[in-house]
Amino acid sequence: MANSLLELEEVQKDYRIRNFGRVIRTSKALNKLSFKVEKGQIFGFLGPNGAGKTTAIKCITGILKCDSGTISIDGENIENNVFENKNKIGFLPEQVGLYGSLTAQQTLEFYGGFYSLSESIIEERGGKLLDLLGLSNSLVKTVREYSLGMRKRLALATALLHEPEILILDEPTSGLDPRGVKALRTLLLDLNEKGLTIIFSSHILSEVQELCTDVGIINNGKMIRQGPISKIRETVEKTAIKLSLRVNIFGKKDEKILNENKDISILENKELGKHKKIILKLKEDLIPWVTNKLVENGTKIFSIEPHNTTLEDVFLTETEGDDDV
Amino acid sequence: MMFKDKAIKQWKSNYTWQPLLIAISIILLIAISHKVHWEITTETDPLSVWNDRKVTELDNKTTINYSNENLLNKTITFKGVLEIFPYTNTSIGTLEESNGTFDKIDGLVYSEDSYSKCMINLNGMRILVNGSLEGKFYESEVVTVEATLIERSFNYERNNANIDLKSQIWEAEIDDIALADEKDYYFFGVETIIFALGLYFSLKRVSNLNEQIKFAKHIALFEFKRGFKTPRMIVLGLIFFVFIVGMGMLLGQLQNSSNSILGTMTTKGSIIQLSYFTFMIGSMVAIGISVDTFHKERQENTMDLLLARPINRETIVLGKALGLTMVVGIPVFIAQIIGLYFMVTEGNMPPIGSMFAFLFFGQIMIFTMVTFQLCLAISARSGSSVVIYGLSAWLLFALVWTLAVITIATVIGVDINGENFENDPDYQKFASRMGLLNPGVIYQMVVGLFTNRTISVDLEGVPGWLALLSVILWPIMCLRMATWLFKREMRG
Repeated sequence: MANSLLELEEVQKDYRIRNFGRVIRTSKALNKLSFKVEKGQIFGFLGPNGAGKTTAIKCITGILKCDSGTISIDGENIENNVFENKNKIGFLPEQVGLYGSLTAQQTLEFYGGFYSLSESIIEERGGKLLDLLGLSNSLVKTVREYSLGMRKRLALATALLHEPEILILDEPTSGLDPRGVKALRTLLLDLNEKGLTIIFSSHILSEVQELCTDVGIINNGKMIRQGPISKIRETVEKTAIKLSLRVNIFGKKDEKILNENKDISILENKELGKHKKIILKLKEDLIPWVTNKLVENGTKIFSIEPHNTTLEDVFLTETEGDDDV
Repeated sequence: MMFKDKAIKQWKSNYTWQPLLIAISIILLIAISHKVHWEITTETDPLSVWNDRKVTELDNKTTINYSNENLLNKTITFKGVLEIFPYTNTSIGTLEESNGTFDKIDGLVYSEDSYSKCMINLNGMRILVNGSLEGKFYESEVVTVEATLIERSFNYERNNANIDLKSQIWEAEIDDIALADEKDYYFFGVETIIFALGLYFSLKRVSNLNEQIKFAKHIALFEFKRGFKTPRMIVLGLIFFVFIVGMGMLLGQLQNSSNSILGTMTTKGSIIQLSYFTFMIGSMVAIGISVDTFHKERQENTMDLLLARPINRETIVLGKALGLTMVVGIPVFIAQIIGLYFMVTEGNMPPIGSMFAFLFFGQIMIFTMVTFQLCLAISARSGSSVVIYGLSAWLLFALVWTLAVITIATVIGVDINGENFENDPDYQKFASRMGLLNPGVIYQMVVGLFTNRTISVDLEGVPGWLALLSVILWPIMCLRMATWLFKREMRG
């Protein structure tokens, strides 16, 4: 069986709070995190704030060292050959920090200097990337004069300069205007078509849904769900779906009857002109029971419509109980 | 069992540096055998023998002898630090003045015969040398002296009475005195070779060493280009340039005249003093330039992009340290050369070795101060902390060190009472040893060391080799500490 391009196995990471060098407190960031990313995937890394996405990305890119567990690329533990494995990764951090006094070309020359690239290759590839990312008109400006979006694009150029096998992006669209987001999306799809594997974390779930082939949902440092988006949606739908009802009345008695069943929860109850709109969360096989009960109670049902499960629904369901989303 | 397991784990985790650790262990064994060699072949504590000496003064007879009767006519090889008292018109007076004078410490009566001889003080012990040592040996050199205890008879007058003196005196010929460095160099040479081999095999174990060297150079050049043209560097650079060059000129002039603050300067003293001024101003610039590194990068998030590259953390620290050293070191080097030029043209030429040490170890000193500041910059939590730590370190090392030494001396009970306490050998020894904790003092010591022809000298209580070892160890330790702190960040 072929190895996954990237695999994390039971990765643990604690942050240590120090005072005068002595560890006074530890805080768990990754708790036996495991997941796999196959070659050619666009992998969306989802999770609420503080779930451990950035920590996981920092461990993969070698910015942080994990306490235990293994991270492998092409089946080889990255610790065994850090140099080779880091050559396979391109990274765009969420907070892009570039040296303000350099121009775009000088920035590429600086970061390109850490790979086995000749000056002519840096110049040639750099020129193409700057052109592709819409920075070729700003070559004489220093980075200090760049907007946040331009800086992100330049940082992306530095991440792509050495033609990595995996591109890791931490919240790449934050700070970009809609045009920038669209351009980035097009670029990523284009790069993926050419064989680049992409991992990115984002809070904009619609974007992940649109772009990713696979997602992983992380919460409290642990992977709670991973797979193709369609499969995850199916799995979640088996557990619960959303049902929208339009009825003439929905009184306390109806509410009480439905609340008696623990597998049903009322998400919304609001007036809609002459009718009432009720949104329920329930298992699919409970729909006949609900309609029967309501009809028995004298309620007229004008429409009944199951909701399509979005990635946001999956995300909210999977990370339920965590308010900091 | 727990300890053994931990030790084995620690050993395995240091795979890269295992050859160097083995080499250092062997060097320690050689250093012990070096010490044992001198202890076995020589008497390394002449003072203990000297303290056995008794002076008995009766009515018309004075006797100077040793309690241990077996010592008489015995030849012993002593090893110690040399101080020479030549018997000349200026040291013991003219023949008219000194003839027939009894000196209790020297244990003899001066006569015409004395003028061709000299008395040496070897760690407190007096040995009469039959000949002049002028131009052959110098003060503070560590020597071995093969001396024989001989009983001599003299006559001298005391209160108009004729006194017979029977004195046991340690005597040696000029050929019986030798510098201790020959054997020292043999040991030091072997130790250096073993260290070099350990380092070589350790570096061979560093994965992708060639690439890492290339990256260190890449970062160093980047830091140099970035740092050299900052307004801060231009201002500080101009100040220290004028200061070092001006001081060089002044110290040269003071060799032929005097000044109410600095007094008169000897040629050797001038270059040591110039090294102090170079440290004072060079360390300030080194600290000032290194303040922003790491801390500011962390604040501006420039570090993450760098850390995601295939570069070791050690390489990043080394590259930055080298780059910042170049930023400060190159202008300092130019200022030093011009300062030296003026010092030599206005005064006299110091020994070539000391000029080499002044320039070469000046760069090592700047590298040390840069890496020292990097340790502070990596571990500090805020920008103001980095500045405060750096400024405090500079104040301590460059300005208030003497006060700090006096304070510590008071606390631990070293006698600092009296007007000339700073000339007291015990205080000097304490202050010199404390100086090993200050890169600036070590820099001066090493420049002072190279005004001598050998490293087997005593620098007021600190052996020359120890000063040399310290000047090498300081930057290595600071660099190691900085990389350790930086790597600790990676562990989170």
